[in-house]
Amino acid sequence: MNKFTNYMRSFFNGRHVVIGVPYLWFLMLALVPLLIVLKISVSEMESTSVSSMISWSEGWPAIKLNFASYVFIGSDELYVQTYLSSLKYALLTTVICLSIGYPFAYFMARAPKHLQPMLLMLIMLPFWTSFLLRIYAWKTLLVNNGVINNVLMSLGVIDAPMEMMNTPFSLMVGMVYSYLPFMILPLYANLSKLDMRYLEAAADLGASPFKAFWLITVPLSKAGIIAGSMLVFIPAVGEYVIPELLGGPDTLMIGRVLWDEFFSNNDWPMASAVAVVMILLIMLPMAIYNKYQSEQAELKS
Amino acid sequence: MAIAPKANIVREDLLRVEGVTKIFDGVVKAVDNVSLTVAIGEIFALLGGSGCGKSTLLRMLAGFEAPSKGKIFLAGEDITNLPPYQRPINMMFQSYALFPHLTVWENIAFGLRRDHMPKEQIVERVESMLSLVQLTKYAKRKPHQLSGGQQQRVALARSLAKRPKLLLLDEPLGALDKKLRETTQLELVNIIEEVGVTCVLVTHDQEEAMTMASRIAVMSEGYFLQVGSPDEIYEMPNSRQVADFIGNVNIFDGVVEEDESDHVTVRCNDCLHYVGHGISGNSGMSVGVALRPEKILLTKEKPTGEYNWCEGEVTEIAYFGAYTTYHLKLNSGKVIKAQELNNTRDLSCGLTWGDRAFAQWSDLAMVVLTQ
Repeated sequence: MNKFTNYMRSFFNGRHVVIGVPYLWFLMLALVPLLIVLKISVSEMESTSVSSMISWSEGWPAIKLNFASYVFIGSDELYVQTYLSSLKYALLTTVICLSIGYPFAYFMARAPKHLQPMLLMLIMLPFWTSFLLRIYAWKTLLVNNGVINNVLMSLGVIDAPMEMMNTPFSLMVGMVYSYLPFMILPLYANLSKLDMRYLEAAADLGASPFKAFWLITVPLSKAGIIAGSMLVFIPAVGEYVIPELLGGPDTLMIGRVLWDEFFSNNDWPMASAVAVVMILLIMLPMAIYNKYQSEQAELKS
Repeated sequence: MAIAPKANIVREDLLRVEGVTKIFDGVVKAVDNVSLTVAIGEIFALLGGSGCGKSTLLRMLAGFEAPSKGKIFLAGEDITNLPPYQRPINMMFQSYALFPHLTVWENIAFGLRRDHMPKEQIVERVESMLSLVQLTKYAKRKPHQLSGGQQQRVALARSLAKRPKLLLLDEPLGALDKKLRETTQLELVNIIEEVGVTCVLVTHDQEEAMTMASRIAVMSEGYFLQVGSPDEIYEMPNSRQVADFIGNVNIFDGVVEEDESDHVTVRCNDCLHYVGHGISGNSGMSVGVALRPEKILLTKEKPTGEYNWCEGEVTEIAYFGAYTTYHLKLNSGKVIKAQELNNTRDLSCGLTWGDRAFAQWSDLAMVVLTQ
């Protein structure tokens, strides 16, 4: 008994608890649900519920795995196309966010110190309104008899309304608009720490301001670029709300397919398999990012 | 202490600064109407405490700050408005500013590549720079994989690689520890002299300035207090501020009694000074007499002469190994410092706390400060 309490005491000392809490959190809220999804994806649908994975025959358990959903995903053109199109739009969103966000973050980091907190606030201001409402607002701006078309027509710039809503354009507007802060914030955090002496040293050695930016600022902000791109790319791949509200028939994204499988077709194994494949697709850039981060950590030590 | 500065037989000016003033935010005068010339091959030091304007002046030479007034000429050409990347001037930055994402080799080649130098020439130049600073083996390392001394040498190689007309050094040894600093100081001067580049160096460390520079400008509040060779600055300071800033000094306040062309006598509370040089002043004038601690001889016996001695009580003894510093409390209450060389192993003058002692010095030991 004494030995046991000692063991318990050493196990529940502060160190273990502090380290253990995030692990417990991760286990309960990420790993377990993921395993459940994985399990459902290899089950079969039985009228209203999912078949159990373990069946009993003559007192022996038998594990029944059904990979039909995965086979179907691989063989059906629709799914492959949707995955590719999701990756395409996510990548496009990331590239556009980066090209808008980088100068944004750069000038924020260069702005007078007393203005920076206010600029930071402005970046976060949209979060004060519900995400859904903000996406809905874009609808009223982009539709054929919406604000933009009406203003342009009354100014005589265009004769007929431009077809913007439910096109790849409206999808991109919504995606870039929503994800831009996630690109700007890590970039700003990185760029505001940039040591100005490096730029002075570059200028001193004969680099014009543009060269210095390209050869010093950009490579030194690599960590910020990667972090921002991951924060945009990963959720963008699985985005559902924006393609649903702003996208059209030709802007297929995997989030919508997933929704349809779950709620229209009621095919849980299929939906789970779609989700698992999506997770695998996202894990690739994540792994690259993690590898880069641990390399950076190694460099610093 | 000083490495004998190389005498310039024909003095040819490389850098000329004319009445340069820098005002920050419309009010703060960081540099106040400074003029100077630096000859080819000279190592010129700007010496002063923090906030004296020495770094601002250096940054104006590099082109990072524009003077509010005045002009800067390099080899006769007005470079006042030239951006830093067009000046034939390179700088070794305080704590080096080596590019962390580039290797040692790439750091040194950075400036050469900006000049679009042919590849073979870049390779050749970088290799020669690496061997100059003895870092050939470390070419592929990143800066963070090097020690402080090695980083310093990379910084030097990088700033010399373009063969600048003028090399600027911003606290070149500030980031090194004391022991390393001493050896690096000599190394740095040797390399600079080998290359033969003209240098302007900024430092707050008087030892560094005196060891490395052939001329020193002592700066305070944006202007030059005195410009001269290290020994001039040390032995012939022109003001109390300079005397006080460079090394240790005892300053006696007194009044001029005799004022001859070859000597003056100054009456102080504790003694009568007979100074072996004339001054531009007149009798009855209040002056300060500066006397360096190492020029004082302490004895137990009363000196026989009329001048240049005083009596006091030993209140502090600090043993430094090579020498010992004694604090002597004079009869007026003034405390002076005297440094005695420990040239034998039994501590020479045999004084201890509370002893009465006599301090004496020669008539060539002092300098009269009229301001």
